Amino acid sequence: MLTKKLQPVQSFLSLVSRSVGHFPRQHYDVIVVGGGHAGTEAAAAAARLGAETLLITQKIHTIGALSCNPSLGGVGKGHLVREVDALDGLCGRAGDWAGISFSILNRRKGPAVWGPRAQLDRQRYREFMQSELLSTPRLTVMEGSVEELLVTDPNPEQPGQHRVNGICLANSSHPISASSVVLTTGTFLSGSLFIGQTTSPGGRIGDAPSSAGLSHTLRERLGLKVGRLRTGTPPRIVKDSVDLSLATLNPPDSSPTPFSFMNTHTRCRPEEQLPCYLTYTTPGVERVVRESLHLNCHIQQDAKGPRYCPSIESRVLRFPGRRHQVWLEPEGLTSDLLYPQGLSMTMPPDVQLRLIREIPPLHKAEIHMPGYGVQYDFVCPTQLSPSLQVKSTQGLFLAGQINGTTGYEEAAAQGLWAGVNAGRRALSKPPVALSRTESYIGVLIDDLVSRGVTEPYRMFTSRAEFRTSLRPDNADLRLTLKGFELGCVSSSRHQKAVRVKNSLQDALAALQALSLSTTSWKRKIPDVHVSEANSNMLSGIEMLQYKDVSFQVLASIFPEVLLPFMEFSQRLKIEAVYRPHCESNKREIQRIQEEENMSLPEDIDYLSLPVSLSQEVREVLHRARPSTLGAATRLEGITPAAVVNLFNYVGLNKHNSGCQGERKRRRTLEKTKTRLR
Amino acid sequence: WAGYGRCGVAVVRVSGPASATALRSMAGHRLPPPRTALLRSITDPLSGEMLDRGLVLWFPAPHSFTGEDSVEFHIHGGPAVITAVLQALGSVPGTRPAEAGEFTRRAFQAGKLDLTEVEGLGDLIHAETEAQRRQALRQMSGELGHIYRDWSHKLKRCLAHIEAFIDFSEDELIEDGVLDQADRSVCDLQSQIEQHLRDERRGERLRSGVHVVIAGATNAGKSSLLNTLCQRPAAIVSPIAGTTRDIVETAVDIGGFPVLLSDTAGLRESADLVEQEGVRRARERVQQADLTLLVVDSTCLPSDVQRAAGFLSEHLRNMCLLVLNKSDLLPETQRQKLKMELRGVSGLPAVCLLSCQTNEGLKDFLTVLQSSVKTLCGDPLAGAPTLTQARHRAHLQQCVAALSQFQRYRDSDLALAAEGVRLALTSLGRITGRVGAEEILDIIFKDFCIGK
Repeated sequence: MLTKKLQPVQSFLSLVSRSVGHFPRQHYDVIVVGGGHAGTEAAAAAARLGAETLLITQKIHTIGALSCNPSLGGVGKGHLVREVDALDGLCGRAGDWAGISFSILNRRKGPAVWGPRAQLDRQRYREFMQSELLSTPRLTVMEGSVEELLVTDPNPEQPGQHRVNGICLANSSHPISASSVVLTTGTFLSGSLFIGQTTSPGGRIGDAPSSAGLSHTLRERLGLKVGRLRTGTPPRIVKDSVDLSLATLNPPDSSPTPFSFMNTHTRCRPEEQLPCYLTYTTPGVERVVRESLHLNCHIQQDAKGPRYCPSIESRVLRFPGRRHQVWLEPEGLTSDLLYPQGLSMTMPPDVQLRLIREIPPLHKAEIHMPGYGVQYDFVCPTQLSPSLQVKSTQGLFLAGQINGTTGYEEAAAQGLWAGVNAGRRALSKPPVALSRTESYIGVLIDDLVSRGVTEPYRMFTSRAEFRTSLRPDNADLRLTLKGFELGCVSSSRHQKAVRVKNSLQDALAALQALSLSTTSWKRKIPDVHVSEANSNMLSGIEMLQYKDVSFQVLASIFPEVLLPFMEFSQRLKIEAVYRPHCESNKREIQRIQEEENMSLPEDIDYLSLPVSLSQEVREVLHRARPSTLGAATRLEGITPAAVVNLFNYVGLNKHNSGCQGERKRRRTLEKTKTRLR
Repeated sequence: WAGYGRCGVAVVRVSGPASATALRSMAGHRLPPPRTALLRSITDPLSGEMLDRGLVLWFPAPHSFTGEDSVEFHIHGGPAVITAVLQALGSVPGTRPAEAGEFTRRAFQAGKLDLTEVEGLGDLIHAETEAQRRQALRQMSGELGHIYRDWSHKLKRCLAHIEAFIDFSEDELIEDGVLDQADRSVCDLQSQIEQHLRDERRGERLRSGVHVVIAGATNAGKSSLLNTLCQRPAAIVSPIAGTTRDIVETAVDIGGFPVLLSDTAGLRESADLVEQEGVRRARERVQQADLTLLVVDSTCLPSDVQRAAGFLSEHLRNMCLLVLNKSDLLPETQRQKLKMELRGVSGLPAVCLLSCQTNEGLKDFLTVLQSSVKTLCGDPLAGAPTLTQARHRAHLQQCVAALSQFQRYRDSDLALAAEGVRLALTSLGRITGRVGAEEILDIIFKDFCIGK
């Protein structure tokens, strides 16, 4: 067994690890199982919080591996990366370190839906993650395979029927105990790999399957409900065998925008960036898919795959007769492979070769490694609380694909939050939840724990009700200060966020104070069409709301007041435009927060609750067991009337509600009723 | 369970999980076939004493009004029978008297009715005139809800396409044409909703009654006209000018349409404080009225009939009928001259010459009044169903405002534009039900091949 104890590492690249000859400690505050995107964030977050943490992974050199696409971010996903970074997570900085092609998607559609995205160098991403983790104080990284969870009786003072207080490794008789265990096993839980008609156990090609014991413990011992999902990855193609002159060049942004609030530039220089290429499927592709269906086990299986990342097989079967986009993406600065985004497939390798050669730029292409499918178990996430702890099992946290999500960013976001809560539990602090009114992470976790999943869950901006308030540009204002209070944000990042917050406030106050008549503004900025309807005074903020007025323009008119804030010019423009909409969001946000503060007792029996609820509603509530009234209102099939009745019931049964609480309850009820009307 | 009164037949309804037990313990152990009326002896479950013989019906869930298991007992309507049956029901475990409106609420909760249908049902129960009944029935059977749901559906599709464009167009083949289609739908919907809102409040008026105010100088015979119209001495009538000081209101049915008739103090300068207040109230009421009946004492008209038209037009306001009262006091020749002279004078509303004393000309007047009221309410059976409630109007106005937010930001910021459509959808949803993000995603995935 190889144990690597971290040491502070100065350079990213000097991968210092110390092999320790003796056994690791017998007790940790937090044990994280799995070294993928969820596991790395969970371990780092728990350690930042001050918890003595152990990360167990099969191979240290696959920590930070990008199992599928070599890219990070995008629309919705980029929001998650920015939020993870605002909470001092790793993936944003890793992206800035490893990115080789940066672009902001949706540039023309408004800052609330901008999607920061980068193509990554696989090698560099692994380097960054490994060196970061191996140099994190209080974090021990160890290679091993977890065979069992240690399950004991629950602490009677907390809800739950079981308690997990450690793990057993394969090939070892010494259990390691911990206050919290975070499972981030990805696709390895009863995972099977599919190529053509062959099936083998495993979660990723080239890695050993994980132990059946873990899966058994979750299902049989802890009684958790599991489901089965599938995913897949495309073949990797030898770059030299591709005729890129037949594809359309898609250049990156000329000036890369970093993911991290802490970075002013990316490691990769603008001119070093590599482009992507766009090409399309042909009718020949559809023909090959149809001819080989009988050789394709994965596609015939019943497990649910995502609707938005379908294999090429399901794309042509669901939408026949169309051409589909295929992106040819670089795998790294020095890699000789290309990643064909959109060509995930599971047919036999020889058929895969026939298929890709139907696409013009790939007509002579060689496959380095064939595509394959994975089917795996996930734990139905409605069994989790918003802290990502299993409701029935004290000390057990789950994050990433094990909760039915897909994507690196979704995994990282959950990992970070599970790590924070696992650390808090070990330090005897109460669990914390992020609201869907303040973050995409909150939307993600709330969707998972209150609605569950029927297909791999991916983030979209349309899932966020308050999209205009939850923007990539303001993730630091929304989360960094809160993260600092929780202990997962370093003081240098906190100081920076405070400075940004104060500067923005000062700048907005200065803009507000610049109040001129319409005619004066017209004299100063002649080419802007100021509507005559606003006959009276206009502030600098209101002027900034005009499409063609930039902060730079205003700063050139009022240099002494505004020049000090030039570094925030883009953020100020966005703040000004969105301000009225965020204001009108606020009331609704407040209502939701009040509803979220009304927790529903965990032991409530909805089937016999003496409240007027229809049988359907009772069954929905019984299945989903929402943790708050807010979560209940968002469940499918919950009627407004049911919410009001539930509200009354919960309010009346709150024994601790004094006179003041009663008044507040009434107020919330009135608001809820008004909204429902 | 609910239902009481004194009548030939009374229906006692039971809804909820204990319904079958109630039926078994009171009307024989075998449940009748679903939705079939059977004659059974109805007995007290404790004493076994027969209480009545009547029809029983069994509606297993979900095919009942409330969506729950339901039972009906059709029993004789005497108070003693009803009390006995209700008491017997009370002894069945799991039953209690229904609260007011509880059956409807349960039906709503079970998704059997949407909000507009619930409102329609309420209106139907409260309908007092024929036209009100027709309108409520249309609404209850879901016609209004159908329009709103149809709009809501179109808007959902529209939003889904915009959201698909936002979330996927960078990586996927989603043509810009998708947005143009959304533009057209938003435009269409906006004008349809505006059209629906431009109904001159016809449906609301029909639901709550047309406000008709009788106004005019003192002693013109306003109170007599009120009494004539409601066919009872509702207001005090005397030859003394200024008899009516406060407003006298009464509801009447004019040709099937509900009319709220107000008699007001005669308009004149007065030193009397009470009368001054009465005159102020009268003017205020005229301002708010849907229709004013301007009563003029025809003996006060200029004897030169040529000048009568000019004299009368001074009294006019928008929606108004001129009533020339006391025609019996005019000589026959003068009456004929007036009728001839005032017919078809431009700028003058319909003029009716009548006598509240002899009822002469009353029939013609009623015909004119009825057609005015009908215009104000619209025909509840013709054309698209109309707005019936101020609540709907408020939500629809918000919806239209939100759609213009879409148009304002369409080219500069699609996120803010989409927010407009989301708000519009929420406003519509508040009329009938709600919309979740998953529904939008379902449409996205049905309409597009999203591969990334």
